[in-house]
Amino acid sequence: MGEAAPLTPAPAVRVQGFGKRYRRQAAVAGVDLEVRRGEIYGLIGPDGAGKSSLMKAVAGVLAFEEGSIEMFGIRIDSEAAAERVKGRLGFMPQGLGLNLYPELSVEENIDFFARLRGVPAAEIAARKAKLLAMTRLDRFTGRPMKHLSGGMKQKLGLVCTLIHEPELIVLDEPTTGVDPVSRRDFWAILAELLREKGITALISTAYMDEAERFHRLSLMHGGRVLASGEPDAIRARTPGSVLELEAEPQVEALDRIQASLAQAESVGPRLRVFVDDAAPEAAVGTVAGLLKGLSLRDLHATTPDLEDAFVALLRRQRLVEERAVAKPRAGDGDPPGDDVAILAKDLTRDFDGFRAVDRASFTVHQGDIFGLVGANGAGKTTLIKMLTGILPPSDGEGRVAGADMHFAAQAIKARIGYTSQAFSLYQDLSVLENLRLYARIYGVARHAAGERIEQVAELTGLTGRERQLAGRLPLGIRQRLALACAMVHRPRILFLDEPTSGVDPIGRRRFWDILVHLARVEQVAILITTHYMSEAEHCDRLALMHAGRIVADDPPAALKQALREEAGELLEVATDRPLAAMALLEQAGFAGVALFGRHIHLFARDAHTATREIQTILAGRGIGLASVTPRPPSLEDVFVYRITALEQGEQRL
Amino acid sequence: MNSRLTLWWSRLAAMTVKELLQLFRDGFLMFAIVFLFTADIYMTRNVRLELNHATVVVHDADHSAASRELIYRFRPPYFQLGGEIQDSREGQALLDQGQALAVLDIPPYFQRDLQSGRPTDVQVLVDTSNTVLGTLAASYSGQIIGRYGFEAALARMGASEASLDTVPMIQDQHRVWYNPNQNDAWFIPISELLTVITVMAIMLPAAAAVREKERGTIEQLLVSPLTPALILLPKVISMTLVILAGTAISLFLVLVPVFGVPIKGSLPLFFAVTTLYTVATSGLGLYIATLSRNLAQAAMLAIFILMPMVFLSGAWTPPEAMPAGLREAMYLSPLYYFIEMGYGILLKGAGLDVLWDSLLGLTLLGVGIFGFGVRRFRRQFG
Amino acid sequence: MNLARIAALAHKEWREIVRDRLFLALAFVVPAALMLVFGYGLSLDVEHIPFAVVDHDRSALSRDYTHRFIDSRYFDYRGHVKSERELDPLLADSRIRFAIVVPPKFEENLMAGRPAAVQSLIDGTFPFRASTSKGYVIAINAAFNGELLAAYISRRFGVAPERAAALAQPVRVQLRYLYNQELKSTWSIATALVMLVLMVAPPFLTALGVVREKESGSIYNIYASTVTRGEFLAGKLLPYVGISIVNSLILWALATGLFGVPFKGDPLFFFLSSVIYVTCTTGIGLLASLIVRTQVAAMMLTVVMTIIPSVLYSGLLVPIASMDPQGQFEAHLFPAMYFTDIALGSFLKGVGLEQLWGKALALAIYAAVLWLISFALFHKRPRT
Repeated sequence: MGEAAPLTPAPAVRVQGFGKRYRRQAAVAGVDLEVRRGEIYGLIGPDGAGKSSLMKAVAGVLAFEEGSIEMFGIRIDSEAAAERVKGRLGFMPQGLGLNLYPELSVEENIDFFARLRGVPAAEIAARKAKLLAMTRLDRFTGRPMKHLSGGMKQKLGLVCTLIHEPELIVLDEPTTGVDPVSRRDFWAILAELLREKGITALISTAYMDEAERFHRLSLMHGGRVLASGEPDAIRARTPGSVLELEAEPQVEALDRIQASLAQAESVGPRLRVFVDDAAPEAAVGTVAGLLKGLSLRDLHATTPDLEDAFVALLRRQRLVEERAVAKPRAGDGDPPGDDVAILAKDLTRDFDGFRAVDRASFTVHQGDIFGLVGANGAGKTTLIKMLTGILPPSDGEGRVAGADMHFAAQAIKARIGYTSQAFSLYQDLSVLENLRLYARIYGVARHAAGERIEQVAELTGLTGRERQLAGRLPLGIRQRLALACAMVHRPRILFLDEPTSGVDPIGRRRFWDILVHLARVEQVAILITTHYMSEAEHCDRLALMHAGRIVADDPPAALKQALREEAGELLEVATDRPLAAMALLEQAGFAGVALFGRHIHLFARDAHTATREIQTILAGRGIGLASVTPRPPSLEDVFVYRITALEQGEQRL
Repeated sequence: MNSRLTLWWSRLAAMTVKELLQLFRDGFLMFAIVFLFTADIYMTRNVRLELNHATVVVHDADHSAASRELIYRFRPPYFQLGGEIQDSREGQALLDQGQALAVLDIPPYFQRDLQSGRPTDVQVLVDTSNTVLGTLAASYSGQIIGRYGFEAALARMGASEASLDTVPMIQDQHRVWYNPNQNDAWFIPISELLTVITVMAIMLPAAAAVREKERGTIEQLLVSPLTPALILLPKVISMTLVILAGTAISLFLVLVPVFGVPIKGSLPLFFAVTTLYTVATSGLGLYIATLSRNLAQAAMLAIFILMPMVFLSGAWTPPEAMPAGLREAMYLSPLYYFIEMGYGILLKGAGLDVLWDSLLGLTLLGVGIFGFGVRRFRRQFG
Repeated sequence: MNLARIAALAHKEWREIVRDRLFLALAFVVPAALMLVFGYGLSLDVEHIPFAVVDHDRSALSRDYTHRFIDSRYFDYRGHVKSERELDPLLADSRIRFAIVVPPKFEENLMAGRPAAVQSLIDGTFPFRASTSKGYVIAINAAFNGELLAAYISRRFGVAPERAAALAQPVRVQLRYLYNQELKSTWSIATALVMLVLMVAPPFLTALGVVREKESGSIYNIYASTVTRGEFLAGKLLPYVGISIVNSLILWALATGLFGVPFKGDPLFFFLSSVIYVTCTTGIGLLASLIVRTQVAAMMLTVVMTIIPSVLYSGLLVPIASMDPQGQFEAHLFPAMYFTDIALGSFLKGVGLEQLWGKALALAIYAAVLWLISFALFHKRPRT
């Protein structure tokens, strides 16, 4: 965001030498940071980096041992001191809607927070009306919170946190588990509200692309701050270039690159490589050299994003664990048998007159990664539950692992692996105990179990953590444990329902390394849901769900191509005041105007005409335009465009 | 077939180990369990279901040797003298405040009348607001005064204690079996142990099952090839093991050494019966788990079932005294059979030859309850 | 203390209770149902004791004697058996709890002016029943002996039978039962049940309150707001105290209306004492909720703190007065005992503040101590 934050001499938050230990184990140490008034300050870092501890301490809900925290010049060093600032503060803890009261309606939740915070009765109605209108929750005031979708829960949480008009809000991962459209919505509302009231915000996130929405941010890792500053400044600390390419055979290409360049990954059919300290041309040369003899296509350089920078930064400071993911060994997997792993035909599920899944049909082959994306409540989880045999379908047919789901549910269960949306392993058991339990449940022979557990632990990078309790693990590692448990019996098919929700970028990369390995080498069929569109690029096929129906089912490239044909060229607009520019461009009638990071994306039939038009509009308001560049659309563009179009279509009906 | 059976056993064992591990990880829960099986039962050593040092105040209008002799007989262990009062108003006030349980009122000329063979009336006022205490106090004071009068009558006739043989009377020889000293110290801790076993057998499996529902871990189990029985049985087995261990600790560390409870019958039989009882009762716990969505509901349902069971099965009250309808209902309570067999084995030394009918009753009931609980669970999650 | 904030918290808690239909229903159904079941079913009377007779004499007098047992409402005659040996399995199997053995030459000895030894065998597993049975035997024997002695005196000294009877029983006992003249155990029990039910149900209502918010994360709303610790605890407790007060009124109505227990005391005093008492018992649940980390543990801890003491130390089954000093001391550590005295005093004795203020004060102190402990245990800025 380019708008200048009003600077005031006394910072909203000043943290100096902060440290927090749990039972002698240090969670955070030596953290310094300063949040200026009116600023949106971000905290980014992997799970277990200490973000939550720091935020809780700032919010005065966690006692700490070292250092000092000042809020509006008041030192928070005791329970009594913390009480003195709580009136000026709003806090939303981690977890989608977990701090709300599921049995209460939207309105009752808001009323409770308002009265708890002593908002004068006369003002409650007006504030509530305004916030409800802005968040478009006004149509649902009577609905119990537990029946809201994830995005709505998050907006309600925001309303409840803001109802007493605090001067500072502390939001711990507010967008985790929310689909891309709702996330955008959330950020837009938040930005507007904060600007209007001059509220300061301290926000943590697991989405790197959201970092662009912060004025300044701190990257945290292992309880320390790695870097602080404006997003551009942080990016500038790790010079280098990012290359994208397609190569055949992919596994070998990746192996070769990784042998000499540490930061490389496969994204679906493409490879993405970060080359340190190299200009784009030099980097292309380096990679082409490494891959001599393989068939290469579409090798080009792009600008590094914050996620690349973060990974590079960690790597340079030698903070990232060496990639512990086991290299594929030939013959690890069973030979592919029946090629079709999952076959769904007109699967339908009704709940009391509400159709959660409507005639879903698709096919997944062994060795495929099949992605299921859609807004919260689109029916993805219900679909998975039917395929895994938890929920009988109301209508339609399905074959999973060669068995009919109507007649052989038990046989299906033995052949699949499943991780549910919420972490559903035993938190009070250790990593090893969980693994052993599932090995025996799935009937892995006793003599083979020890070896297999070692193998999956190594593959998922859990080696060394066997004795830790699952509940104490950082989220990302917990999800890897869930995956390890799901694959301990070498299932032919894996169902993964939002396995990476809330997992940090590093954790997600590792997670996907494992999935790609399973699919490509062991020929496992994987059906996965996710809200991270950057992840969806890894999928071989992607089904887009909306209101219970599958509205698109194609490889990612085909989806993008279809978008191009339908909506036109994607233009990326870089300006110094993106929010204001966005509003103007929307007014001007451009299609699909949306903020991506610090740039505006929009669609245009003819790039030249559109560019000229944009220049005119922005110049008229004195907004500086840096560039208008045609870009290949990302999956997020596809998702946002499609879902927005569908939602608008419904509203018109 | 054989390998399927092996697989079944292996799954059962794995799930049972899991349940036990989870239990052991919860420090406060373990504390509560150990406390209930040991300290809680130990604390009952001070509790008596008997009149014990009940305070009697005396209004003595005679102040004679005879009246003093009678008053002297109101002594421990049943009674203790709470002093003398001047008028009946004072007695009433003491009774009102609960400072005394009974007032003994000895009339004037008590000794003179006694010696002259004229009948004399001694009045006893008893606070019967608590009928148990009141009845006991009335009964004992009646016995004491009656005995005193009888002896006085004999004495007037010249029959001294030594020559009672020459008077026609029934000499009652009480023989109290199984607990010759009528030692509450045996009864109460055993009843307490049976109560604790019941509380655990209902609440632990219910809590374990509801917790899986609340935390969502049940979902992961439902997509696995486990049958509902393999989800349920391990909970019952592990909780039964915990209860058996607790019972053993209670028996060998508290009941026998502290209370001197004799174990007259067969210990293996006692533990076998306890196992059967725990499994039967845990069926109720599983039933509760199917009815409740959260633990708060489960807790309320548990006391709803637990309290009547504990109080109306004869653990704390004599079962013979129950009103007709409920006495029959008692046969539907597994605790009733467990009490019969528990006391039978521990105190009476009874064996299967005597207890077979109770065992049959418990078995039938257990199969019924457990089968019902499992069926409900199956229908919910099958 | 900011009343508006307490009201907001209490209102929210109340709405949550109302939305959980089953829980709401149970909150009212469980106490009333327990009162009904126990009121009708819980009897401490020792009656219908099954017994058998061994009559080695088989004379007119032995028949007369044994019929005094057979005809008594306290005993339930199960038949004659031939010898003592046959009694063993009957006692072991609890088919009989008591047996009477009449010796040979019973009539002959007594008629000849000689004593006769009668054996009574009593099942001692349940000491209260055993000693009460023994009391009945003694009473029946005493009456029989009195008649024998009177007949003997009449024969030997040649006095008229009425005079002989007076001589045989020079001291007559006049027993007067106060407060419950007809010795209706329902009166005692229904009164004590008000105590028991209000001891058991309210803590389970609150036991999961705080720990559930900790597990879900909504406790952070409290931590992060300006609500004081006291306000939070008060707001959390208030709806449950309210439910329990309503329940105490329902229980009162059941006791007086359904079980016919007279209420002789001061209604206002009893009501206020009930309010203090349920504040104590809901507070116990709240305390359990604050101490532990998991809901299951909170539930078991509540069992430890309520069900068990209410059985042993409330005076319901076990009279406090009959405990030894240490038992009495332990009983004084639980609030149930004080309220039992208040309930019995208010219902049956017709006494009020003047006599019972001490007990009410003890309850109030108990509530205050619970409050202080909860206050000390609850922190808005915890270490973990």
